[in-house]
Amino acid sequence: MIYLRLFLSFMKIGFCSFGGMTMIPVINDEVLRYGWMTASEVMDIVAVAEMTPGSLGINCATFVGLRTAGIPGAAVASLGVMMPSLTLSLAAAHFILRLKGNKLLESAMRGVRPASLGMLAAAGVTLSVSTFLADGALNPAAWSLGTVFGAVSWNLVLIAVISGVLLMKFKLSIPKTILIAAALGLLLG
Amino acid sequence: MEKKGNRLLAIFCTMFKIGLFTFGGGWSIIAQMQNEFVDKRKWMTEDQIIDYMSLAKSFPGIMIINMSVFSGYAMAGAAGAAVAAVGLSLPALLAIAVVTYFYGALRDNVYVAKVLSGVRSVVIPIILSACVRMWPTALKGKSAVVLLTVSFLVCTFTNFSKLLVIVIALAIGLLVWRGRINDDLS
Repeated sequence: MIYLRLFLSFMKIGFCSFGGMTMIPVINDEVLRYGWMTASEVMDIVAVAEMTPGSLGINCATFVGLRTAGIPGAAVASLGVMMPSLTLSLAAAHFILRLKGNKLLESAMRGVRPASLGMLAAAGVTLSVSTFLADGALNPAAWSLGTVFGAVSWNLVLIAVISGVLLMKFKLSIPKTILIAAALGLLLG
Repeated sequence: MEKKGNRLLAIFCTMFKIGLFTFGGGWSIIAQMQNEFVDKRKWMTEDQIIDYMSLAKSFPGIMIINMSVFSGYAMAGAAGAAVAAVGLSLPALLAIAVVTYFYGALRDNVYVAKVLSGVRSVVIPIILSACVRMWPTALKGKSAVVLLTVSFLVCTFTNFSKLLVIVIALAIGLLVWRGRINDDLS
């Protein structure tokens, strides 16, 4: 039965991955196995996921579900990919609240907080490199200040700076800032 | 005390709005939740945002859905977790249905590409603003500075598993502070 199969496949994708691009190999395995998508369609869905809000996992589940079994298919596939959150994370959320104020937990979180701030900052750097620099600009063989300087998309840097000032200095809300950045992209991108 | 139904509805609507504007790998959800749930409604604290973010990233599945479940549960129990997750994913479902339908036309459209380049660029200051806000909450003591630096370098320059980064940091936190959290000497 197609609904059950979609649900189980996407549940497996959910449990075997940790979000974002790490999902692609797992998604590939499952959707190619059942012939739900071709390899090039998988790359297309990555592009579609870039165009739409939300995560790659949900977007992929919706796309495959819609294609194979219509709207109910999209719903069961999305529910499948959300299963780890609805089981493991829900259980963890329960325990973390019950343990609130526990000194050992608080000690552990004291270690975790700076580490995850480092992780968030690193995500910002990685994303900056992929957004602002042309592919291959950091290739060590051809590295020079000139080539790196030339590989930077300065128009996008400008958009980031303007929206950063609006966001942090003028306290503009995030949705409004995103809309302005989209308009700036149309002008300068 | 407000009615529980009102709070659930507010969580749903807010998460729907956040879902509409979550581009670029999901990290921008953090700054949006700080604004909506910490600043505006005061239903969560800055500590909770960081803690749930680390857990959400370490648990299997989709980070932003995990994040919505942790936060929804903290604000309104299991029902809160469910409405938060559904609210967050609904815009994605609707958007994907529309975009899939017009994909051929959108893929090669130069204006769509321009708008998306603007949206991709704004994600970076959004992440930066979340980092700046978390700074005072996350950095308490010298050990925290070391942990931050090491984690930043490891995550930027290697593909080391994020789950292991968090587990190791958790163990170090236990060893360094050992339950004595009132003295900020470490």
